[in-house]
Amino acid sequence: MAVEERLTQLWETPHTLYGWFSTVDHKQIGKRYLVTAMAFLIVGGLEALVMRLQLARANATLLTPEAYNQIFTMHAVTMIFWYASPILSGFAVYFVPLLIGARDMAFPRLNAFTYWSYLFSGLLLYGSALIGQSPHGGWFAYVPFTDSTYSPGLGMDFYALSLLFLTISTEGGAINFIVTIFRLRAPGMTISKMPLFLYSTLTISCAIVLALPSLTVGCVFLEVQRQWGFHFFDVAHGGAPLLWQQLFWIFGHPWVYVIFLPATGMVSMLLPVFSRRPIVGYPYVALSTVLTGLVGFGVWVHHMFAVGMSQMGMSFFSAASMTISIFSAVQVFAWLATVWTGRVVPTASFKFAMGFIALLVIGGLNGIVTAVIPVDWQVHDTYFVVSHLHYVLVGANVFPVIAGFYYWLPKITGRLMDERLGTWSFWVSFIGMNLTFFPMHVLGIEGMTRRIYTFSSGLGWDSMNELATIGAFVLAFGILLSVINFFSSLTGGRVAGKNPWNADTLEWSTESPPAVYGSVHIPTVVSRHPLWDNYEEEKDPNDARVLDQSRLTLSSTPLDAKPAALAYMPADSLWPFLFNLGMTLFFVALIIKWLWLALAGVIAMLVFNAVWLWPRPMKRPA
Amino acid sequence: MSTIALDRLPPEVASHPPLVTTLDERRGTAGMWLFILTEAALFILLFFSYFYLAQGGWRWLGEEPPKLRLAIPMLVVLWISSAVLHWGERQVKAARYSRARTGLGLTILLGVIFLVMQAFEYMDHLKTLTPRTNVYGSIFYTITTFHAAHLILGLLMLCYALALPQYEPVNHPPHRPYHNTALYWHFVDFVWFWIIIFLYIGPNIR
Repeated sequence: MAVEERLTQLWETPHTLYGWFSTVDHKQIGKRYLVTAMAFLIVGGLEALVMRLQLARANATLLTPEAYNQIFTMHAVTMIFWYASPILSGFAVYFVPLLIGARDMAFPRLNAFTYWSYLFSGLLLYGSALIGQSPHGGWFAYVPFTDSTYSPGLGMDFYALSLLFLTISTEGGAINFIVTIFRLRAPGMTISKMPLFLYSTLTISCAIVLALPSLTVGCVFLEVQRQWGFHFFDVAHGGAPLLWQQLFWIFGHPWVYVIFLPATGMVSMLLPVFSRRPIVGYPYVALSTVLTGLVGFGVWVHHMFAVGMSQMGMSFFSAASMTISIFSAVQVFAWLATVWTGRVVPTASFKFAMGFIALLVIGGLNGIVTAVIPVDWQVHDTYFVVSHLHYVLVGANVFPVIAGFYYWLPKITGRLMDERLGTWSFWVSFIGMNLTFFPMHVLGIEGMTRRIYTFSSGLGWDSMNELATIGAFVLAFGILLSVINFFSSLTGGRVAGKNPWNADTLEWSTESPPAVYGSVHIPTVVSRHPLWDNYEEEKDPNDARVLDQSRLTLSSTPLDAKPAALAYMPADSLWPFLFNLGMTLFFVALIIKWLWLALAGVIAMLVFNAVWLWPRPMKRPA
Repeated sequence: MSTIALDRLPPEVASHPPLVTTLDERRGTAGMWLFILTEAALFILLFFSYFYLAQGGWRWLGEEPPKLRLAIPMLVVLWISSAVLHWGERQVKAARYSRARTGLGLTILLGVIFLVMQAFEYMDHLKTLTPRTNVYGSIFYTITTFHAAHLILGLLMLCYALALPQYEPVNHPPHRPYHNTALYWHFVDFVWFWIIIFLYIGPNIR
């Protein structure tokens, strides 16, 4: 039997219904992450359009105040939690193993588990829309407004419990990435030769491990106060509403980097390829990525400058916030220098990446403005902040993600997307983006507060709001063009081949789409740009790195990436999926307070988990 | 890392001798350490909330302090359980598997004793303070219940390890189940130590 056949037999998931629910293949799961996150982007985007219609003119009555509150909250929660981070996880799940020459993630079944819990937690959140009681307290859900006194109904319970559900998924994913990147890199890919996307994924995974528990604690407090009569935020019984803000932002600001840094990592990968040269200042870009993640833990209070704190404390957090801009500037200048000194190939992907830099600089500069405490007091909770956060989130997440799609989708689908349509999509979205969010600066300075469902005319806000609404539709149309581009490329796109961009990293040495087992020989690496040097990565005369004895990949030492051991990879399993059904039952039961049902969910989880982990003999080739 | 790996495969299958022949058994341990790290962050934030909410200094001097009568013996029980489990782990390394199983069983017994003691402690304490009394009751019971929940999770892990058919190194996962569950158990014990310091002893210093 040929080697390829044997490897395929070992790694392939059967194309059956059972296979669909039980696959642990990181390529399948990565694709699912990307598709699901894009679906959430579209849903969240439609919610934004409805909001912009309501705000297009003064005294509009398209939405009731309560409906508006629910829609802006669902828009924000969807975008920040169920789109922005999972889309980057999708890229990472698909590409990290290929980038490091491994055959799967370190914990393949945990990988399947985190996908299902991501999906089910999102469905749980949108279950609230079915009963017309979606969360309505904004994405940071400040108490006392979100307490049961002022927010009766189940909306905020859906918020707290679906977020708790999602944190489990996100934690599992972060642990999986850290172990994968530290232990499964191809021999020779030392820590100083890692592609920069790995640095950003590693940094944010560590940030998740340390910061996400803060959201867990906050949501538990909120939920037990709402449903079980505890008093954490209740002043009458000695509670402190500010504790919620502290806990939320201790998590919340590192989270901003969680949804930003991997996007910069993607740009650091594709921009040099389209500039036909290695990135300028690799170690500085890597270091500033790590430092952004680190200093990101010391800036959370800048969300709370208006609550009344000591001058000293605020000055510290103000200074720390400005420090971040130094690290971002290092990256921006490294990208600019790369483009400046390179021979640019202006593909659609490149244009989206350059658009990202422009938007990041605008969003960064108005971020520095809001880090100045007196200015922050002036523009706090106004559209200026809305403008800032959308410049950084749309500019520094959506634009790099689309750049990433134009760059990497040919690897996933095997087909190139159309460049002309891509360029149109870029310019339309770029103009739409600025048309929507630039006027919001002015609106904010003129005093329009965020989250109001309508405004009266004669305040000087009318034309700017109209402009923003037009811009929102232009932006949506621009993104729609790329979606159309994707679907038409599936059948009509040019065949990509192994390496259509003549790129430098290992994923481009596999077929497009990659074989189920990745590459036949586990590659070895001698430089930062494996496909640009003269070294043959898959040279393996004794077939010592084929590893077709079982589902195996190579494990290496964390820093020097010396080959250390054979890593056995578990086979497909239905239990991660079933476990998640139990967990969904548990969370649904908590929302409706059926404790016996919750207990049934817990027992189901425990039983399924025990079966999942029960030892099974190694899979062998037939 | 053990060097058993692939020699048990039939010769016609092991077509190409692999680059290395040891088997990676440490991914699970690395995952467990990261899990412990994130759990540690969770408890640090719970303690942060405890201090943040405190009035009259971090020792909650305005409240009646919890009794130490049961809490300190509970700490001793957990310490003994950790010592026993550590002993059991050394038996695994020395390939004395039945003794290792005994160690595991004893640890589970001590964990259950801890939970029973905590039930008595709660029954006594609830007479004067409930989670709904005030914010102090809320945070006190939340932290201690979180710990109990983690202890129960640890117990379930230990039960799973006890039920496993063998502790000999094998080719397939779970690798090092004894070691990984022991790590978690020691962590849960360690958290109780800080609960004793912050929640029990601190308020009693008047």
